[in-house]
Amino acid sequence: MAARLEISSLSLRYSQGAPLAISALSLTIPEGSCVGIVGPTGAGKTTLLHCLAGILGKHHPGIVLSGRLQIGDVAYEGFPRDILFPTVGLVLQDPFVQISGVRDKVYEELLFTIENTGRGGEGSDFLIQSVLRNLGIEHLANRKPTTLSGGETQRVALASILIAEPSVLLLDEPITALDATAQAKLRAILKGLHGKTTVLLTDTQIDFPLSVCDEIVILDQGKMIVAGKPRQLLSDGHDLANVGGWKRWGRITARLKDLSHEASREAPRILKALGLR
Amino acid sequence: MILRIDLSAKLALVGLLWVCAFMLPWAYQAFLCVLVITARFAIPQLRPQSERSSKAFSRFLLYSVAVATFVILLNSMLIRGGATMGSILGFSLYEEGLFFGVRTASRLLLLTYAVLLFFVSTPLKELIRFLQQKGLSPSFTLILLLTLHFLDHLPARIHQIFLAQQARGAPVDAGIVSRSRALLSILSPLVLSSIVESIDRGTALELRGFLNRPQDARLITQPTAERNALTIILLAGTIILLLATLSRWLLG
Repeated sequence: MAARLEISSLSLRYSQGAPLAISALSLTIPEGSCVGIVGPTGAGKTTLLHCLAGILGKHHPGIVLSGRLQIGDVAYEGFPRDILFPTVGLVLQDPFVQISGVRDKVYEELLFTIENTGRGGEGSDFLIQSVLRNLGIEHLANRKPTTLSGGETQRVALASILIAEPSVLLLDEPITALDATAQAKLRAILKGLHGKTTVLLTDTQIDFPLSVCDEIVILDQGKMIVAGKPRQLLSDGHDLANVGGWKRWGRITARLKDLSHEASREAPRILKALGLR
Repeated sequence: MILRIDLSAKLALVGLLWVCAFMLPWAYQAFLCVLVITARFAIPQLRPQSERSSKAFSRFLLYSVAVATFVILLNSMLIRGGATMGSILGFSLYEEGLFFGVRTASRLLLLTYAVLLFFVSTPLKELIRFLQQKGLSPSFTLILLLTLHFLDHLPARIHQIFLAQQARGAPVDAGIVSRSRALLSILSPLVLSSIVESIDRGTALELRGFLNRPQDARLITQPTAERNALTIILLAGTIILLLATLSRWLLG
């Protein structure tokens, strides 16, 4: 079941005296909605997701975290110090490492997650079949996970997390290794999750988040630069290029500017292509 | 009580062979090495689980014979004692060194063949599941899993890095000296990428609840436990051999 995600004044340093990796970030994601974090390399996108999943708190004892996280009714002062799975599910940037390597079939790979959550039992088969069907990968059920293509692996990695029915799904640059067709399939999957799971995804490009997210946050050097709905960002695209620090994330704003310009001329086609209509 | 070659029996067999490698004379060890190789072909449960493991086993046999020969020759040349048994390239081979080399080589071969037989005939997933069912600590299982995964993918990774270094002009195809120099350019990325991938893979497994696996989860896949007579026989054999060696040592 989807949960509201609320991040209040999150600041993060990897150690005392180190520069801020994330600076006073506040963000509220309504339950069931999808938010995209866009920013250049080193903006703090992956750090943010790892922090929310509890990896940073657990594996970096010297990390300095402050702020407050609330997922549904559960609040974490100073952010979680343990992995929040299955409440929070994180799909890593490289989907190939998400495959456990201890199961021979995609079906069993999903069963592996179920076993880890201790739920197992008779309902497992139904659950696995429904996740495979929803992600359009029923035909991969008996395939060996290590023989899949990049796009297929991405969807299996996603399925291996979704099978645990997380309230919040975090996707770290999910389209990095995907071609246009695979991106379209992922876009359809994410739209299908709308209302069912709260999704937070990251990307270095703005096109994909524009097409699937309800809200987009542009992050740079750990600070939120701009946040808004896709339409709003598209209409403000020209002005964004004038905001300070544009050199680092200028590629993103330039793309927004292009899209805004194109949108004003060819609005129907562009909006349709981006799935906004 | 049943009699079958399952994972517990295989582990007990490895244990027995390891004890034999330290307790028995070299002639027995050499005989056991032959038995292990024969078992790999003759017993279905001990056959390699894939074509890849079959090839790896054959290749390893070839390498191990080369290493054993090298160990024997080196010891024969360096440990000078007893009669001269002959000479190679002007170096004399001595009796004492030869027997020491044979003893060392047969022990090493038996130790490695026992482990090799276990791993080529046991799929990784089966081993991990078995360890989980036996209640092994999830952290230890995770470390073992990552190590075995790394070893499994090592040849492919070396090949990949070899090609990458070749593409940037490293003399990986030249003579032995150049190849040795180029080794560093292969080892560094190999070690670094392996560490990074192991961390990522470990994190990914943690993110799927591997370390927080509830104890009850063991029951989901655990078949009805039934004592395996073969495991008990092999364990008993190991204990008897240990006791016999200990008694012999105590009685002089």
